[in-house]
Amino acid sequence: MAYVATRGGERAIEQAERLYREQLGTIDAARVQGLRDALPWLIDRVMGEASLYDADLAALALAQAGGDLYEAVLLLRAWRTTQPRIAIAAPVLQEDLFTHRRISAAFKDIPGGQILGPTLDYAHRLLATDVLGGADFVPVPVTPAPQAAPAQQPSLAAWQKAMGLVADPPRAEVATDDIPDVTREPLLFPAARAHSLQSLARADTGGVLALGYAAMRGYGNAHPTVNELRLAEAEVMVRHPSGVSFSAGRVKVSQAEVTSKGKSGQLELGFCATFGWNEVKVIAGATLDLNAGGAEKGSAVEEEFVLYHTEPVESSGFCIHFKLPHYVTFQSALDAMRGAAVADPAKEEVPA
Amino acid sequence: MSVLDRLAPELITGAPLLVMQGIAKRYGPVVALEDVAATVWPGEVLGIVGESGSGKSTLLRMMNLEDTPDTGTYTLALPEVAGNLFDLDRFARRQLCARRIGIVYQNPHQGLLMGHSSSGNVAERLLVAGERRFATLRARAREALDVSEFPLNRMDDPPRLLSGGMQQRVQLAKAIALEPALLLLDEPTTGLDVSVQALVLDTLKRLQRDRAITMVIVSHDLGVIRTMADRVMVMRRGRVVEEGLVDQVFQDPQHPYTQELVHAKL
Amino acid sequence: MSLSNLTRPWAAFSYGFLDPSAKREIRRKMIKAIAVPGCQIPYASREVPIARGWGTGGLQVTLTLIKPASVVKVIDQGADDSVNAASIRRFLSRVSGAGETWDTLAATIVQSRHRIPEERLRDDQVLVLQVPNPEPLRPVQPNMSIARQMHADADYGRLWLVLYEQMVRSGRIMQGAAYPALVNGRHVMTPSPIPRWDVPKLNMARHLTFLSAGREKRLYAVPPFTRVEPLVFSDVPYKVEDHTRLTCHRSGLTGVFMNEIPQAAGGSVFEASDSHLGIKAIRRAEGDAAEIGPLWYQNGEFRG
Repeated sequence: MAYVATRGGERAIEQAERLYREQLGTIDAARVQGLRDALPWLIDRVMGEASLYDADLAALALAQAGGDLYEAVLLLRAWRTTQPRIAIAAPVLQEDLFTHRRISAAFKDIPGGQILGPTLDYAHRLLATDVLGGADFVPVPVTPAPQAAPAQQPSLAAWQKAMGLVADPPRAEVATDDIPDVTREPLLFPAARAHSLQSLARADTGGVLALGYAAMRGYGNAHPTVNELRLAEAEVMVRHPSGVSFSAGRVKVSQAEVTSKGKSGQLELGFCATFGWNEVKVIAGATLDLNAGGAEKGSAVEEEFVLYHTEPVESSGFCIHFKLPHYVTFQSALDAMRGAAVADPAKEEVPA
Repeated sequence: MSVLDRLAPELITGAPLLVMQGIAKRYGPVVALEDVAATVWPGEVLGIVGESGSGKSTLLRMMNLEDTPDTGTYTLALPEVAGNLFDLDRFARRQLCARRIGIVYQNPHQGLLMGHSSSGNVAERLLVAGERRFATLRARAREALDVSEFPLNRMDDPPRLLSGGMQQRVQLAKAIALEPALLLLDEPTTGLDVSVQALVLDTLKRLQRDRAITMVIVSHDLGVIRTMADRVMVMRRGRVVEEGLVDQVFQDPQHPYTQELVHAKL
Repeated sequence: MSLSNLTRPWAAFSYGFLDPSAKREIRRKMIKAIAVPGCQIPYASREVPIARGWGTGGLQVTLTLIKPASVVKVIDQGADDSVNAASIRRFLSRVSGAGETWDTLAATIVQSRHRIPEERLRDDQVLVLQVPNPEPLRPVQPNMSIARQMHADADYGRLWLVLYEQMVRSGRIMQGAAYPALVNGRHVMTPSPIPRWDVPKLNMARHLTFLSAGREKRLYAVPPFTRVEPLVFSDVPYKVEDHTRLTCHRSGLTGVFMNEIPQAAGGSVFEASDSHLGIKAIRRAEGDAAEIGPLWYQNGEFRG
C-alpha cells in the first residue's frame, strides 16, 4: 500500500495559498460582473493573451488572480487546454468587419473614410481626483453624427494592391479545417504563416511592445507607417454538421497593418491581429511582423527571437521558476569549483 | 626540393590531385562561372588571379564544397572518395572537408570562432575529425600553431583579442592541423599591413617548402601570386582567359587582359 | 433521442486533466522519442494548471501515462516533501485517482526534478525527468533552428570545444549538473540538470526514462538498455561529485549524493539528498521493517 503522509512542505504550501486567497476575500458573481463592466480594456487584453474569447471567464480569472495578469492568463490557458475544439470558424475578411474605429496614417483620407471611434488619443490625461472627494465623474453624453458611418469598410491594402503599390504575395490556399493551429502543434522555425500570426495574437502585450519599440527606435530594419488600424467586431461563422453556416456570435478584434518601402520598390506590409481591442499590441506586433522578413538570425526582430520571448505563460513561468530550489545543481557546480581550485593550471604538458 | 626539381617533367606527368571540369554557375541572369576547368598536381601551388567578380572566390568555395555548380565535376585523388564530389551527400561532404581540406579565408570571422581560444579553434578541427584524447589535442594544437609561427604564449587567447596577422596564423594552424591533402587560401593576406603581409607569406612559403602541401591560392594581387604560386590561372568574368607557369605568364602574357594586369602592376 | 442521452454529461476536466486529443498527440511523440533515443521531439505542450518552468513538461508526460492503478512518486532535489513536488503529486492524484508514495520501491511512475533516486529502478518503473532546457547546444548556439540542423549533422564539435577550454582554463571539466551525454551513439542530449552522480544511472538502465520540457515544447527518451555516454576525453576520466566519503549526519548513510548544510560555526554537515532513502535508513536503525532496495552505488562505486 502506498505510503502517504502530510509533512511540513505540504502544510506550508496549503497555508501559503490560504494566506494569498484570504487577502482577496470572497469572490462572488457580483465581483466578477463588476470587473467585467469596469475594466473592458483589461478584459480584452487578457482574452487576447489567453486566446480565449469569453469576457466572463476573463473577469473571473482576473478576480481569482487578484489582477495579476500573468496568473490570469495562465488560469485561462490551462482551462482552455481542457476544452475540445468543436468547430473551426470561417476566416474573417477585413471588408466584413463591423468597424468601430479605423484610421490610416498613410493618407489624409482613404476610401471609406477615417473613423475616429472611441479613443483617448486626443484627451488630456488628467486624473479625476474629485472622485475621491465624493464627486462622481459623469461622462458627457455623445452627440451622434448626423449620418452614421457605414458599418463595413473596404480594405486599404486591397486598394494599394490594385494600384500596384503593395506586393501581393502568392497565397497558399488552405482548407479552413486544415489551418495550422499553434495550440495543437509545436511552433517550429521557419514558422508557418498561421503559426506566426497566432503566436503574435496571443503574445504578451508588454513583451511585444518592448521588442516592437526597440525595432521602431532603430534596432529593426524597417520604419513603420500605420497603413490601417481597426477596432472592430467580427462575426464568428461556423458550419453545422448538416452543412448550414451560422453565426455563433460576435467577437471584438483589433488589427493593424503597418507599411514601409521594401527593397523591391513596392510597399511591404506587416500585420497583427488579436482578440479584443488592444491598439498598442497590434501596432507593435505588426511592426515586428514587418521587420521579420530578412532579419538576421539571433537579432531582436527575427521571428524565432520575437515569438519565443513574447510568450506570456512561458516567459513569466520561467522567470518565477528561479524561486524553486536549485541546491542539487548548485552542489554539483560547487564540487567542480572546489576541484578546480586544487588543480594547477600552470602545469602544462610539453608537446610530444 | 628546389623549384626546378618540382617542375621536372616526370612530376607533372604524374596523376593530378584535383581535377575540375566544365564548371558553370549562374545566379539568375548573372554568369558566375562558365566552362571552367582546373587541375592541380600533388605538391603544387596553383594561383588564381583576377579582379573582384571574376569568379575566382566562387571557384575556391566550390573546391571547399561550400557551393555547388549548375554543371561540372570535381574529383580529388584520395583513397576514401571516388567520383564527382558534388554528388556527395551533406554528411560525406562535411567529413571530407573536415579531414582533407583546409581553408584560410580573407575574413577571419568566416573561419574562426572569435570568442573561443585560439588553441581551441585548432583543436575543434581535430575534435570534428574524431580525436578524443585531451593531451593529443593540446599537443597537436600547439604544434600546428607553432609551425604557423604563432606566438605560443598567446595560444589560449581568443582571436578577437589578436591582430589581423595573428588571426590569419590561427586560421592557418586550424587549416593545416590535420595535414590536409589540399590547402585553400582565399586572399589570405589582403587587408593586412604590407610588412605583416610579407611575414605571413614567408610562413606560407616555408610551410609549403617543408611539407610540400598542395595549395590553391586566390588573390587579386599579382605580387602574392608571383611569390607563392608555381602555376597561375587568370580569370575574368567567370572564365579562365590564360593559364601557365607563373614566370611564363607574367613575363610573356598572351591574353590582352593579362597583359593589362601585368602592365598595371609594373 | 436527444443530445443529452447521446453524449456524456459535461465535466469541467477530462480524466487525467488533459483532453484525449492532447494525450493522443503526446503519446505519439513519446513513441517517436523511444524510437529515436535522445532525439528531441517537438510537441504542442498544452498549458496545465501550474506555471511553465515548474514541471509542466514532466507533468504532461506523467498525465499521459497515469491510470488509477498507478502509484506516483514526485521529488524535487531528491525530496518528496519539497513544496513543488508535493504540489505536483497532489495534483496528479487529484485528477487521476492514482496512489501517492514516497517510496521509490512502491512507485510505478517517478517524476523528478534534478535527481534520480539512489535505489535502482526496475523494468516496471518509468522515470519522468522535468527539463528546463532540452537543448545541450544552447550554450554554443542559442538559435533553436540552427541547433536542430547541428543535431541532424551530428555536429557536436563545439560541445567538445567547451570541454577542451575548461580543461585548459581549470585543469578539469567544469560542467556541473546537466552533463551532456551521447545517447545510443547518435544524439547528444542533456540529461536535465541532474548531478554528474546520476548520469551513469541512465546508461543501459532497466527502466524507461522520459525527459520533457513543457516550456520549450520538446520531449525525448532513453529506452531501457540504451547507451548513455557522457562526453569525455579518453585520457580524462568522467568524474562524479566527490561525495563517496561523506556521511549523512541524520541517517548515517554513506556513498549517496549529499546536500551540504553550512554551519554557523563554520564548515558544513551533509545529509542524504534522496530524502526518503534517508527516512528509511533512520527507521531501520530504529528497528522498523523499512525495505531498502539495491542501490546504484555500492561503497562509492557505481555498479549499475
